Amino acid sequence: MAMGSYICVRLLHALVILALVTMLVFVIAQLIPGDAVMAAMASSVDMNDPAVVARVRHQFGLDQSILVQFSNWLTRYLTGDWGTSIGTGQKVHAMFIQRLPVTLELFLGATAWSVMIGIPAGIISALKRNSVVDVAVSTGTMIGVSIPSFWEAIMLIYLFGVVFPILPPSGYVPFAEDPLLNLKSMVLPTFVLGTHFAGLLARYVRSSLLEVLSQDYIRTARAKGLSERAIIVLHALKPAMIPVVTVIGLAWAHMLAGAFIVEVIFAIPGLGRMSVDAIFQKDFPVVQATLIAVSVNVLVVNLLVDIVYGYLDPRVRVNQ
Amino acid sequence: MTDIVAITPVRPSGAILLRRAVVRHRLAACGLIVILLFCAMAALAPWISPYSPYEQDLYAVLSGPSAAHWFGTDNLGRDLLSRTIYGARVSLLFGISSTALSAALGVALGLIAGFRGGWVDGLIMRVTDAFLCFPPLIFILATSAALGPGLHNVVLSFTLFAWTGFARIIRGQVLLVRELPYIEAARASGLTPRRIMLAHVLPNTLAPLIVAVTITVGLAILLESGVSFLGLGVQPPTASWGKELRVGFTYLETVPLFSIAPGLMITLVVIAFNFLGDGLRDALDPRLRGAGPVRK
Repeated sequence: MAMGSYICVRLLHALVILALVTMLVFVIAQLIPGDAVMAAMASSVDMNDPAVVARVRHQFGLDQSILVQFSNWLTRYLTGDWGTSIGTGQKVHAMFIQRLPVTLELFLGATAWSVMIGIPAGIISALKRNSVVDVAVSTGTMIGVSIPSFWEAIMLIYLFGVVFPILPPSGYVPFAEDPLLNLKSMVLPTFVLGTHFAGLLARYVRSSLLEVLSQDYIRTARAKGLSERAIIVLHALKPAMIPVVTVIGLAWAHMLAGAFIVEVIFAIPGLGRMSVDAIFQKDFPVVQATLIAVSVNVLVVNLLVDIVYGYLDPRVRVNQ
Repeated sequence: MTDIVAITPVRPSGAILLRRAVVRHRLAACGLIVILLFCAMAALAPWISPYSPYEQDLYAVLSGPSAAHWFGTDNLGRDLLSRTIYGARVSLLFGISSTALSAALGVALGLIAGFRGGWVDGLIMRVTDAFLCFPPLIFILATSAALGPGLHNVVLSFTLFAWTGFARIIRGQVLLVRELPYIEAARASGLTPRRIMLAHVLPNTLAPLIVAVTITVGLAILLESGVSFLGLGVQPPTASWGKELRVGFTYLETVPLFSIAPGLMITLVVIAFNFLGDGLRDALDPRLRGAGPVRK
């Protein structure tokens, strides 16, 4: 399959999934007994007055059939109108834009931690295969992946906020306001989010590097008399990093779930905190926007990974 | 010779798999022991816990560890050790029941997808693709919020999400075994597709299913504690590790053990299931070593 038609097929595939995702997101809001808007408005309008209820239902288009509601909702999304938050009365996309920088800072910090810990750990583990170091790193990565982030966060807050009070236990200061305090307050949240992906990354780096090291050209390099260090640095690391880059890409797609918990514990006003608040207030315009944003993010990353792999490895295209 | 290899059943049975994993992997053996200990703790909770999880000692609210209360007491004067022991019941019950439900649904749909092929397969697989676009925690929070608080709604939400993984695994296995000579023989001898599917294809997909079940139970426990931590899921006064941790967080400075104990339990159980799952996967197919554990 030529590259152009391969990309078209993958794109079409992604669009089909996107269509299903939008249906799913719409259906989730319909699961609420009664309906989402009425449930959220229950505290602010008089539910016993049929005229008020009818007006609110009409205002939000709830008096129309499900199919009409779905197509209206979808059309609004496609035209960039993500609706208005029931909780805050703000435009949903404005809320996203306002909180995005905070979450991006969290993601960047977490990625930095996971790369700084995960890649060296994976490399050492692969080079010292089946040694004590390898077992220690493997156990450590398993703990890093399995430990619930909320517990890790609480323990770190206890350690560095209560026992040795050297870092702020929670709160957020914008970078523009006080750069130093901003960095200090982000150390713990980024570390908690980063350690989980560090564990994942270390495992991928290990298996990827082991696979590369078993290739024929590495044996050739050894036969040529190159030093082990030169083989690893010059010949093995670069190709071993290709799948690793995709793991980092996919990690970003899943980091928002981690941000849900981390932002709540550390009281960081980012997208995760906003979404959790919205979930508890049944603020479904915001919840739906979060679900759509997350899934589009995953879809785009997967699509890019597919295209890059199709480009790098033509066999992938044939197997379609 | 090749014929003999081809008609030999391709996968080891569950018992063989477990034995191989435990013998070869010390970590998997540790995982199994920890899981069995937790199961015993959950089953024997009324006999081994010193107090009822609901019994209040109002003279000892938020007290530290003492001879009367080894782990101390919570904000309502309830014994933390007893509540930690009882918490195992909620976590394990949730992990096992939600995994069983999602495995049942996933296996059924995976079998249909793999065996029927064509548009049925296409549809089921695209639906799983759509579900997999959501990080599990976000999906479960959103659906649990829509359905309302309560453990059974979290079970439902988890099942709605986790069947996809089982469906994909089973479909892949069905595609592998569908073309094997023994299935062809079954077809030639006039068996109905349903019988072939249930009596001949399904048993051969069990080994990868066991691996997936083990890893999914760990993931389910982790997600349940996350959802309960955030405030959905188990409702008071039931003892649940995630919930305890949330309340304990408020009293972190005064009674640190209130947060440490439930968190440690969750971590131990999840690690145990991950180690066992990893060992089982390795025993099933050594090439997959280190392919990746569960995701939060």
